[in-house]
Amino acid sequence: METNNKKSIGRILLGTWNTRTIVAVAIGVALFGVLMVFGGIKVFTNTSLTSAMVVVAVVAALFGPLPAAVTAGLGNVLADLIGGWGFWFDWSIGNFVLGFFTGLIPIFGARVEEGVFQVKHAVWYVVCVLVGNILGFGVVTPVLTYLFYSSELTITWMQAFSAIVSDGIVLIVIGLPLLFFLANRNANKNNLSIED
Amino acid sequence: MDLSKRLFINIIPGNTFLDKLTGKTKIRLFFLLILILVATWDMRILAPVCLLGIIGLVSIKPNWKTVSGLTIFIILVNLFNLFLIWVVTPDYGADIVGGSTLLLRFTSRYIITAETLWYFLTRFTKFMATFFVSLTFIQCITPSEMAAGLYANLVPYKVSTIVSIAFRYIPEIARDFEDIRISMQARGMELDGRKTRLWTRLKQNILILAPLIIVSFDRVGNIADAMDLRGFGRGRKRTYYAEHEDTKEDKLIAAVNLLLLIGFVAIVIGRIFFPSTYQVWAPWINA
Repeated sequence: METNNKKSIGRILLGTWNTRTIVAVAIGVALFGVLMVFGGIKVFTNTSLTSAMVVVAVVAALFGPLPAAVTAGLGNVLADLIGGWGFWFDWSIGNFVLGFFTGLIPIFGARVEEGVFQVKHAVWYVVCVLVGNILGFGVVTPVLTYLFYSSELTITWMQAFSAIVSDGIVLIVIGLPLLFFLANRNANKNNLSIED
Repeated sequence: MDLSKRLFINIIPGNTFLDKLTGKTKIRLFFLLILILVATWDMRILAPVCLLGIIGLVSIKPNWKTVSGLTIFIILVNLFNLFLIWVVTPDYGADIVGGSTLLLRFTSRYIITAETLWYFLTRFTKFMATFFVSLTFIQCITPSEMAAGLYANLVPYKVSTIVSIAFRYIPEIARDFEDIRISMQARGMELDGRKTRLWTRLKQNILILAPLIIVSFDRVGNIADAMDLRGFGRGRKRTYYAEHEDTKEDKLIAAVNLLLLIGFVAIVIGRIFFPSTYQVWAPWINA
C-alpha cells in the first residue's frame, strides 16, 4: 500500500493533469475569483482580507503545487475580469508563487486525500505559507510592479505588507483547521483496508 | 447578494462591431493594448489608447448603471493612490519626470510641483486606459468565445477548458451560497450587516465559506467522470462551437493588431536601446 503512494518529487511538483485535476483547478479558480471580489474586507488600497486563499489551501493539499499555483494565478486574473477593475498581472504572478509554495506540503508527506495530515505537516504548511507569502508578495510582485509600471514602490510595499499579513492570517487561521477537518473526513471515508 | 448582476460577465453575444469579432481577434487586440499600456509612460501614446478604450466601451452599449458606478469607484481609488504617493514622496516628479517647477508650497516638505502633477496625470491616464480597455474586453467577450480564442492563440485546450469551466461554475457558486445562507438564517443566524458587529460577521462568513468549499470540491469527481465519459482529453486538438470564420471586421482588426504589434516592439526596442534619462515624458522637458 505504501509503496504505491510514493511518487517522485518531480511528479508531485507538476501534479497529474487528468480530468479530475482540470475540473478541480477550474472550480478552484471560480471560487477564488468570486471570493476575491465579494468575500473580502478592505484592508488597504487594492488589497483586502480575502477569504479566497482558503481555496488555494484546499487545492494545494489535494492536488499539489502546480495546480495550486494555477488556481491562485488564474483565479486572480478571473477576479480582475469579473470585478472589472483592470488587470494586475504583477499580483497574479505573486499569487501564483504563493500558490506554488502552499502546494509543496505533499512533498513533506501530507496526504489530505487519504486522511494523512498531522501536526508536523501543519508546521511545514505554516513554513511554506510564510516563505511563499514573503517571496511572492514581498519580492516577485514588487519587482514586477517596478518592471511593468515603474511606479513609486512605497505604496506597493505597503500593499505587499498588508497582503502578506492578511493572506498569511487567512491561510493559517482558516486554512489549517479546514485542512485538519478535510483530512479527518477523508480518513473516516476510506477506513477500508485491503485484505491479503 | 445578486451575484449575476454585479459580475461583469457577458453570456449572450451582442451585435455591435466589437461583439461580432471572433474570440481570437478580441484576445489579440486586448493583449496588445494592455502590453502597450504596460510598456509606455508617454502621454502621446497613453491618451489616444485611453480615448480608444472609452470609444470601445461606448460602442458596445453597456449597462450604464453598473458601468458608471464602477468607473466612479475606480477613479476614487486611483485618486486616493495618487494622494498616498504624494504623502510619501511629495517631490516624486523630480525623480521620474526630471525637474521641480514649484507651484505651491505648504511646508518645506509638502510642495506641489508641475512635474509631479504631470506624473500624476500620466499615471491616472495610464490606469484609466487599462481600466477602460479591460472593461470593454470583458463586456464584449463571452466565456466560450474566450476559451475558443485562447485555444486559437496557442493556449493548450486543457487550460482553455479551465477558463470555460470556471466561468460556467460561477452561477453554481451563487446558487450554493444562497442555499447555505438561507439554511443558516433558518437556524437563527443573523446575517444582516446592520445588526451584527464586524467580528461576528467575519465568523459567520467563515461558517458559510467552509460548506461552500467542501460542497464544490465534492462535485469534482462527478464533473470529471461526466467529462471523461464524453471523451474529454482524448484527442490532441479540439474545435469550438463559439469560434466562427473570420469576417471582414476581423480582417480589419487583424491589420490594426499588426500595427499595434509593430508599435509595441518599437516601444520596447526604444526603451532598451535608447533609454531616456527620465521615465515619464513631459512636453516641456527634452531629455
